Amino acid sequence: MLTGSKTTFKVRQIVPDMKERILSHGGLHTRGRDMFGLRCLPGECVLQRAVLVRKKLSAREGGGWLAGTLFCTHFRVAFVPQDSQKPDDNADPVLLGDHDVALASIEKVVAVGPSRTKLVTPNSSLKFTPEELVLYCRDLRVICFLFDRLTPETQAVEITYSIAKTYQPLKPGTILSFQNAALGSVEMKQFLSNRRHDAQMNWFESVTDWERELERTGATGWRVSAVNDRFEMATSLPRFNVVPQKVLDTELKKTFAHFNEGRIPRWCWRHPRGSDLLRTASFQNNIYHEKDDIRNLEALLFGGQQQCVVVELAEEMPTPADIQLAHTRLRALCLGDISASVSVPDDKWLSTLEASRWLDHARCCLKKAAEVSCLLRGGHMTVILQEQEDRDMNCVVSSLVQVMCDPYCRTVPGFQGLVQKEWVMAGHRFLSRANYHRDSDKEEAPVFLLFLDCVWQLWAQYPSRFQLTGDYLLALHDSFHLPLFSTFLSNCQRERSRRSQRLSQSYTPVNGWREVLPQDPSQDPVDPPLPPVWDWALQYSCQRRARFTHPVAQSSAPQPVLNGNLNTNPDTHKSQLSDGTLGSVFLLSRGTFSSPSHLLPWRNGGGSGSYRKSHRRAPSSESLPGLERLIKTWSQSEPSKVSPNPQDPQEPLLPLLLGPCIGVWRDCYLRGALQAQAFCHPTPTSMYHPVDQLAWEVQQLRDKLALASSGHAAPTTKKQESRRPDTNLNQNTNNGTFLFSAPRPSFVTPRGLPPTSAPPRAPPPTAPLPRLANRDPSKRTFLFSHPPDSRQDQRYTPMPSTRLSKNSGPSLGS
Amino acid sequence: MLSLGSGGGKPVKPSFVSYVTPEEIKSTERETSRKEKHPDLLPGEVVFCSTNPVLKYTQDDVSQRGIFGTLVCTNFRIAFVSDEAPSEEQAQLFKNKLYGENDIPLTCVDHIYGGYDEKKKLITGGLVRNKYPSKIIIHCKDLRVFQFSLTYAKEEEAKKIFQGIIHHSLEPKSLKCIFAFSYCEKATATPEIHRTPRTVMFDTVEDWTQEMKRTKGNCKVVSANENFSLSQKLPQFFIMPTAVLDEDMTKFEGKGLPIWCWSHHSGCALFKTASLPLMQEDGYSQAYKIYMERMLNAVAQTHLYSVKTEELSDTLPTIQDIQQSYSRFKQFFLIDNTTEFWLSDMKWFSSLENSGWLDIIRQCLQKAVEVVECLEKENTNVLIMEEAGSDLCCVISSLVQLMLDPYCRTLAGFQSLVQKEWVAGGHSFLDRCNHVHQKDKEQFQSPVFLLFLECVWQLLQQHGPAFQFSETYLTVLSDSVHVPVFGTFLFNSPYHRATVMKNDSPQTQRGPLNCPEVWDWSLQFERKAQDLFTNPLYAEKPKQDKGARRTYRPKHQRQLSLPSSAFKTPPKKGFFKEETDSLKKMLRVKRISRWLHSPDSAQASTREFYEAWQRKPLDYHSLILPCLDGPAMRVWMQRYLRWIHEVQIFGGGAITVMSKLADLVGEVQELRRELERQACRADSNHQRAAASHRSSVRLSSSFPFATSRVWSFKPAIPTSLLQSLMITGGLADQDDEDGETLGVV
Repeated sequence: MLTGSKTTFKVRQIVPDMKERILSHGGLHTRGRDMFGLRCLPGECVLQRAVLVRKKLSAREGGGWLAGTLFCTHFRVAFVPQDSQKPDDNADPVLLGDHDVALASIEKVVAVGPSRTKLVTPNSSLKFTPEELVLYCRDLRVICFLFDRLTPETQAVEITYSIAKTYQPLKPGTILSFQNAALGSVEMKQFLSNRRHDAQMNWFESVTDWERELERTGATGWRVSAVNDRFEMATSLPRFNVVPQKVLDTELKKTFAHFNEGRIPRWCWRHPRGSDLLRTASFQNNIYHEKDDIRNLEALLFGGQQQCVVVELAEEMPTPADIQLAHTRLRALCLGDISASVSVPDDKWLSTLEASRWLDHARCCLKKAAEVSCLLRGGHMTVILQEQEDRDMNCVVSSLVQVMCDPYCRTVPGFQGLVQKEWVMAGHRFLSRANYHRDSDKEEAPVFLLFLDCVWQLWAQYPSRFQLTGDYLLALHDSFHLPLFSTFLSNCQRERSRRSQRLSQSYTPVNGWREVLPQDPSQDPVDPPLPPVWDWALQYSCQRRARFTHPVAQSSAPQPVLNGNLNTNPDTHKSQLSDGTLGSVFLLSRGTFSSPSHLLPWRNGGGSGSYRKSHRRAPSSESLPGLERLIKTWSQSEPSKVSPNPQDPQEPLLPLLLGPCIGVWRDCYLRGALQAQAFCHPTPTSMYHPVDQLAWEVQQLRDKLALASSGHAAPTTKKQESRRPDTNLNQNTNNGTFLFSAPRPSFVTPRGLPPTSAPPRAPPPTAPLPRLANRDPSKRTFLFSHPPDSRQDQRYTPMPSTRLSKNSGPSLGS
Repeated sequence: MLSLGSGGGKPVKPSFVSYVTPEEIKSTERETSRKEKHPDLLPGEVVFCSTNPVLKYTQDDVSQRGIFGTLVCTNFRIAFVSDEAPSEEQAQLFKNKLYGENDIPLTCVDHIYGGYDEKKKLITGGLVRNKYPSKIIIHCKDLRVFQFSLTYAKEEEAKKIFQGIIHHSLEPKSLKCIFAFSYCEKATATPEIHRTPRTVMFDTVEDWTQEMKRTKGNCKVVSANENFSLSQKLPQFFIMPTAVLDEDMTKFEGKGLPIWCWSHHSGCALFKTASLPLMQEDGYSQAYKIYMERMLNAVAQTHLYSVKTEELSDTLPTIQDIQQSYSRFKQFFLIDNTTEFWLSDMKWFSSLENSGWLDIIRQCLQKAVEVVECLEKENTNVLIMEEAGSDLCCVISSLVQLMLDPYCRTLAGFQSLVQKEWVAGGHSFLDRCNHVHQKDKEQFQSPVFLLFLECVWQLLQQHGPAFQFSETYLTVLSDSVHVPVFGTFLFNSPYHRATVMKNDSPQTQRGPLNCPEVWDWSLQFERKAQDLFTNPLYAEKPKQDKGARRTYRPKHQRQLSLPSSAFKTPPKKGFFKEETDSLKKMLRVKRISRWLHSPDSAQASTREFYEAWQRKPLDYHSLILPCLDGPAMRVWMQRYLRWIHEVQIFGGGAITVMSKLADLVGEVQELRRELERQACRADSNHQRAAASHRSSVRLSSSFPFATSRVWSFKPAIPTSLLQSLMITGGLADQDDEDGETLGVV
């Protein structure tokens, strides 16, 4: 039957085993990356292909079918639609096309025959010719290919085998071979090493990056310390940390021992009203605290403020194990049990959803973040998030707080900087939590995905106050499942930089990736350089990237001035809170405040009250209600009375957390659901989303108007307007309050920008609309994201003749 | 500003309203507010009794805060008139002209509870004579909840108003007492400004003929029932298969007569009928059987000699099920105590599911899809049957038409559809709504029409651009059922309407009364508010290719209905009752509910049907099908959550997007006008009037119903924090004393 069907698949044997099967090898051709119409990455091998395959399109993609050719390379399963444009040889390589799936994100391969369904594993053999090939992906997508009757049977069988054998089984070490397949070639390494960092976002890699953030938030009294530059003090902490100005590095060094893993309290963010957000691990109780140490510790905690609230996260928040369990249940609910093809009955869907507790966990995180936001709003205190290890829930809560309070974090560059700051640099254990290597099953927990879900909840409630869109969150969600990005493939900055140091001798932290790699790539053939996930041009076409932002966002400019001037504003809370409560430490735990004497370990150890007078240590219970009031008054007072403009950037976006307000991220979790996919409502290719239509119409009318007026000695301004209809449209539509009036910030690296300046075509007389997809992408996504439909005529419609020509076997389509 | 907190001896809590204690009220302001304010009465409205001062609580019962005013009971409504001057700030865009936001039409009262000290008792009319409660809690059918305190009024007055309210809103009364009758007696007949295209009322032969022409049906219009001599259930005019003989029509009082609903463009048609009891034991059954066979024959002859029948009561829930499920469901949204809502929160999804309401919606849509499949794919006639033929038959037939006929998705088309299937179709609105509170009719009460609107809402949700009307329109329509002004929802059948109206006319000497129809929206809303009824996303049918479309259409059809003739359809296993067994061979009659016995085949065939539909590009002007799986059924947030402050997203929610779209549409219109002006006066200076945009900033998610956000006194951060706050309530109170100045931020 098949030549290679009995050999067991082993990772290390990939090259010899594959050699005979390889149809074509990308690396062999100097120019021709184009094989059978598939544009390969350098070094990519096409293992198998099948012609006349139809791909089922999801509702987001427009529904229906798309005919084309299916490829299996040793990196991805690629699908090239029939009439797709000839790829441009000079364009930058894109890892995954719009219809491609990386082998590493495939979880299960299922072949559907005329009468049966079989889960195909590397060792299994097929006893029937598959009519349908279903790929279940880790990122909850389900991709379905249908073989036409004209597809040669051998091709259908062979490609199923190829995919089953090459997709990454859960074995240690497979990640590397996958990365090599994608990025390992000389050309690709060269290409990647020439990629530049997106300058728009803050990478938090250097001292200046942190200083930029301090300046942006208007934080004073803090400085960037390089005491951990060689990761000597705390291995999991970043190289640079922000600490109070008055704490000297020598003093700082002594404090590391007092915290779990040396994760001392570090500054994260300053609220415009002057409170600072800090995060820390729990105290190390078993060591002796000297007096000097204690003074330093307290200086760290107070950071120039007079009050300090420690928010204990451990007790109410879900543990990573809870999150993992909930996510597993959610997956099962959304995808169904694939092999048994048993799905939750429709009328039990809601209770099963509730039982998964995923939404509860999301709610819990949002709730805690809302509490902290309210506290910060009070001003003049430090709020310290404390968690045992400071590497999971602290990341979630601190970044959610910033999304709620800081409008800049709701833009794409701001959000990326936020993730970089609170997750990547802060040392969230991405590698263990994602468990790409399948070697840390106990550690596995999609904490980051829970965070994305929380952000989505906020986004769904306040869509107009985000610059980023659900599409962006979805792209990030999917990328998390692709083990290709340096962002997600290390547990802390130390691991990350060690890895890159091994690659490149000339590594310096300031301009890391910009360094040219050693000229001899064979020096390290195993580890290709890994790009950061933020290099979206590697994964997504510019049409899809254009959908990452929508012009509908909050009124303030994307770069709000948070200069800390607000600190001086008359603040009713200020007088209350700062009166006579100097130096008080409070604990917020389980929703109540307390000032327990044992909160700080050294309190019991005696000697309290023996240092400076201004630090009165007596727990002042009278200010407890003041804090509680902070949380309560926010919700009790009407925003329009608090501030004339409820969209005041200072006011946190507080999510509503009651049952009816919390939704399911349908676009993400339910896109793979079989029924949903089958019953999705297709969007015709010939018709545009009404919003697009409206936008188009506005533009047309404007153009006409401009033309009409220009015919009569039009002022020059009119002409300008007609030349840049896009930005003008935005401004005029809402007086600059609703849409982003500024041109869309381009987070695309200059090299990644394909030629987009094609002039808009005049509408063809037959079609009601011009093909918007051909126009500048920033114009096309005028208001909301909508899939550009560039495949107007590619839809597969079964021709009667096709069906008649082959009578054997029932057709799925008939 | 007159409001107060009475916290049981506790000092007044700081609030943004006022700080006046009850004592102060009595001494100072009572006198000035002595002159009771009355609402602006409608023509024909009579005040029965009124009391002042009455405290209307804000929704949160814990805070015990509220507004003083006058409680008035008229023959139309229970009205609360605030002593305060109406705040100008709320330029109410969406004000109902008939009743204000604090008014409850009598027929809109769902339940009344009396608050005796701390206990809450359901009041069921008649029982309470001596003791009157200190507090009245009124649950409305449009899901508002009102709480009034009677303790500040004089005892006599309080007693009077309480008994008045109970008497007029809960106790049985005759239909004539319903406000509509006194209203249309007194109301000056306003010249009806009909929008074009107007709603077809289906009360003349022409309307029916027109409708049949529109759908290209080939049945006959029957006017034998013009004087209701044939049947009291059937409308004056209706359409039947041509093959039905005149002599057959007189048998069984119109039962079993297949009434034409709609014709598919392929020629097959949908019929509905009130089924005959086929299972009866005696001699009748034979006669029924023969009769039924003849009727089926007649239906089948309409097109290709094939018909499928569907007994709806076999597979769909009964009207009692619907009623029970709905009353369970609505409890989640009728909250007089926000704490209850907070507590229900943890079990939100499973309690929704347990009510079964969403599942009933799903079943109805599912059934409609099956019927659509028969019409669209198999091109057979369909006859849906039900005992009365006017409940679920109406739901299913209307849904089928909505899915298949783009005309029904326009505003006028939808109104005509309701008029055709529900009003002329003889849905017993009076019994189902039980406007007159007759005890013996309680078992017939059931929100069937609301169920239909729910189904439409689900379709609207999934295929927004296919509908010309908006969610707001549906919500308003569902409210209007309980406004006793419109003749549309007052009667059990056209016969009932005719008799009531006829009896009435000799007394008034003015000819037959003419109740306004609900479709005259200008009675309720200003022109501007009516703009919210239209969907800004509606994809209007491109007009220019109308001619082209005609020629194109047949091709489209052929492609669409794959096996075009009935003979090509592969035989599917069906389930037949024994009586119709002979028919099966003769007529190829099939029951639709196949899945009862062969679930796989039905599933597969429905799936196939979906896939065939899916393969074609979606045209919002042809067939649309709903998605029916678990996550697709949603709660109609706007209708159910609009009054609950806790779940209003201020400055957020989908409405910000919708209002943005509306602005965009406005912009397009503005530009068009501008362009026309330009064309006319080419030399004019260019002055673009900046379109006045609704600021989405201030909209809450329950716009347009609750524009002003009344903040509750519960924190926005729920669950554990709330509980802990309530536990430490003592502490919180204490600090209120300390920091009074802080309360007003």
